[in-house]
Amino acid sequence: MKKNLWIFCIPFLFIACSNNNKTVINASGSTTVLPVISIAAEQFMKTHPDVKIIVNAGGSGVGINQVGAQQIEIGMISRNITEKEIAQYPNTNFVVIPIGRDAVVPVVSSEIYDAGIKSLSIEQLAKIYRGEIANWKELNGPDKDILVIDKEAARGTRHVFMEIVLGDKEAEAAGADLVLGANNEEQTAIVQSDAALGILSNAWMNKDVKGIAIIMPNGEIIEPTLANIINGKFPIIRDLDLITNGEPTGITKEFIDYILSAEGQKIVEENEYVSISK
Amino acid sequence: MDRKLKNSIFKMLIWAAACVAIGILVFLITVLFYKGFQSISVDFLISESKNFGSEGGVFYQIIGSVLLTLCAAIISFPLSLGFAIYKSEYVKNKYLQNFTDTIIYSLNGIPSIIFGIFGLILFVNFFNTGVSWFVGGIILAIMILPTVILSSYQSINSIPNSYRENALSLGLTKWQVIKTVIFPRAISGGFTGLLLGLARAIGETAPIMFIATAFSGVTFPNGLFEPVSSLPTHILSLAQQATNPDALENAWGSSLVLILLVFSFSISAFVRRLQYSKLKY
Amino acid sequence: MSAFQNSIGRGYVVSSTYLSIAIVLVIFIVLFISSYDAFSTVGWKIFTLEWNPSKDKFGVLSMIYGTLSVTFIALLIAMPLGVLTAIFISEILPEKFRLYFKSAIELLAGIPSIIYGLIGIAFFSGWVSSLFELATGRTILTAGILLSIMVLPTIITLSEDALHNIPKKYREVSKGLGLYPFETITKTLLPIAKNDIIGAILLALGRALGETMAVMLLIGSIDRIPDPFYNFLAPGQTITSKLGREIGESAFGSLHFSALNAIGFLLLLIVITLTIITQFYFKKEDRL
Repeated sequence: MKKNLWIFCIPFLFIACSNNNKTVINASGSTTVLPVISIAAEQFMKTHPDVKIIVNAGGSGVGINQVGAQQIEIGMISRNITEKEIAQYPNTNFVVIPIGRDAVVPVVSSEIYDAGIKSLSIEQLAKIYRGEIANWKELNGPDKDILVIDKEAARGTRHVFMEIVLGDKEAEAAGADLVLGANNEEQTAIVQSDAALGILSNAWMNKDVKGIAIIMPNGEIIEPTLANIINGKFPIIRDLDLITNGEPTGITKEFIDYILSAEGQKIVEENEYVSISK
Repeated sequence: MDRKLKNSIFKMLIWAAACVAIGILVFLITVLFYKGFQSISVDFLISESKNFGSEGGVFYQIIGSVLLTLCAAIISFPLSLGFAIYKSEYVKNKYLQNFTDTIIYSLNGIPSIIFGIFGLILFVNFFNTGVSWFVGGIILAIMILPTVILSSYQSINSIPNSYRENALSLGLTKWQVIKTVIFPRAISGGFTGLLLGLARAIGETAPIMFIATAFSGVTFPNGLFEPVSSLPTHILSLAQQATNPDALENAWGSSLVLILLVFSFSISAFVRRLQYSKLKY
Repeated sequence: MSAFQNSIGRGYVVSSTYLSIAIVLVIFIVLFISSYDAFSTVGWKIFTLEWNPSKDKFGVLSMIYGTLSVTFIALLIAMPLGVLTAIFISEILPEKFRLYFKSAIELLAGIPSIIYGLIGIAFFSGWVSSLFELATGRTILTAGILLSIMVLPTIITLSEDALHNIPKKYREVSKGLGLYPFETITKTLLPIAKNDIIGAILLALGRALGETMAVMLLIGSIDRIPDPFYNFLAPGQTITSKLGREIGESAFGSLHFSALNAIGFLLLLIVITLTIITQFYFKKEDRL
């Protein structure tokens, strides 16, 4: 009986290892870019049955490191590569290809939004993240401590937000209560709380997670709408990029070209990001 | 306080503790099976996951998990048998015995995430294999070594010395004795240990999440050095979006599948252990 | 031929033994080498509070604190609960139910930690936040409670074995002396089983220290010691959750990566010392 078991196992491993001549592209990185790439990959594989595109999450930092170590073909990033990261990988020639645009939006639990907090100034956001404002009452909201949600240090959303709000992309946020990772993990924490403030990509808002408008120094209130991202009015905007080591070639290039094509850009827009053509 | 009162208070404490423990047990089992069966279907088992795993099924996750555990089994089984036989039949020195014990126990004590980091440094980065299911299999194999070794060693060790002496006095060489007397027992004990080890390996997330698995687009791997997706890492990504009802439902479904796999390994190990504990020389 | 087989066979068992031993040593060496950078540059400053890779500050005190406090809560709950339940199974439960009960508990021990994490996120964090009226249920306490459930089976099974292995005559003598069951248990049985029960608790401690997934999802992952330090209703960070969240983000070969390895190495040393002590606690079977 035992022998039979082993005989069953071995062909299984052979199947697994047998090379069925598919070209494999590995992509990894930002969870903001992830939805676009995984859907684009599904579509692309339909027309290219001999290609396999494996998409992995982890955050912009992970994407940069793995492209840098030349372990994957495509990195997905939602922030700029830092000097330090470029210096870390002298043998890699990072090529950045923008595929869409996105806003980083301060978001609050629906209870806070319904209680009247629908906009905040950059100054107020900075004070909250520095820990100088700790209760919604100080912002004319309900008497509840603010649950300030921060993100893991190498996440693209955090870099972009902190650069504009605290003036340094790697600034420490002394007021933070939780540090979370992927966009969907943060979304979950905001829904579970009734007094949370977090930072999310524009595409991740829903009825329980409300994006709030930003009050500009001149008093103008800018809503996080696609129109305001397109016309550049919303202050916290970023490009969503793919990175490769050197100019992409072969099937990788075909895939990236597909994302940049009209069909690919439609996927970008269906995910509520702004197409690069606009 | 008089003795009788103390006695009754103590009894109440014990009953209360037992009730809490049973309550936890019942709660866990009910939640997992009730929620799981609600979201599981044949379709769930044979279709691939879509839309961050919140739609579709877990077919390739099951394949990936099975692949990782099989690979772990194939690597660790022969290694453990050799170790167990060496320890039992060749090591006579007391210090060496203690040393091998220490090795096994330390391996047993290493936290699972440390195995993951070890794999990340040595294989993924130093040997530059990239994220690969084969590396995951190797790491899981190392992780379950002590379980298999100990189980195999215990069953060899329960063979009375007189058997070995009789066989030797018949003029058999040492290896012939091992082959005819020791080996069958080593395999049978090792197999029980292997089942226990696999029950642990298939549910582990921390060792494989940096080194062996990917998020989407995974089908049958093309070669040794390609990521797979697995049930535990799938549950991890679904748990992070726990307020999305679809994702949560799929998370319960995947958990049930994973638990049934774990239980099928551990229950077969229990049954084997019961059978062999009745077997006496 | 048989001499040849003899040497092949010996070669096989010797090489698999040495390979296994080599693996353990390699794990230590690899971890030590990759944490050496951090030990030599950061040095004793590793025992400070601030962790900020962009400024090359790698203080791990808050993670050590988190690991210790989570483990403390887990044992505080699991120890009495586990030992009392073990007494229940061994001394009160009729013998014929014992095996079913123990098998059920052993199955419980096999539930993967990620599933505990899922249950924690779906239920426990909500319960804790509404019970204590907190802004978030991701706290040190939540992680500790979950961890206590995870180590409970270890404590129950091993303590029960220890109690059950005590020969019947001890109980009969006690009863003959007119002692209440309470006195039999506390004055006779527990002292005899004491060493094994301590072993069980040490083993549970080792497991709690190294547990990753459930803790990582539930603790809130902020590198901070709460104020006051015994405020377990605040989020925190353990060594394992830090590793789980950050190791992928750090570049291989950077000081950041090395510092993460260094805390991993510290954890490894602590847990292994514990396990070795524990395992030698248990008596070894002698060959018949």
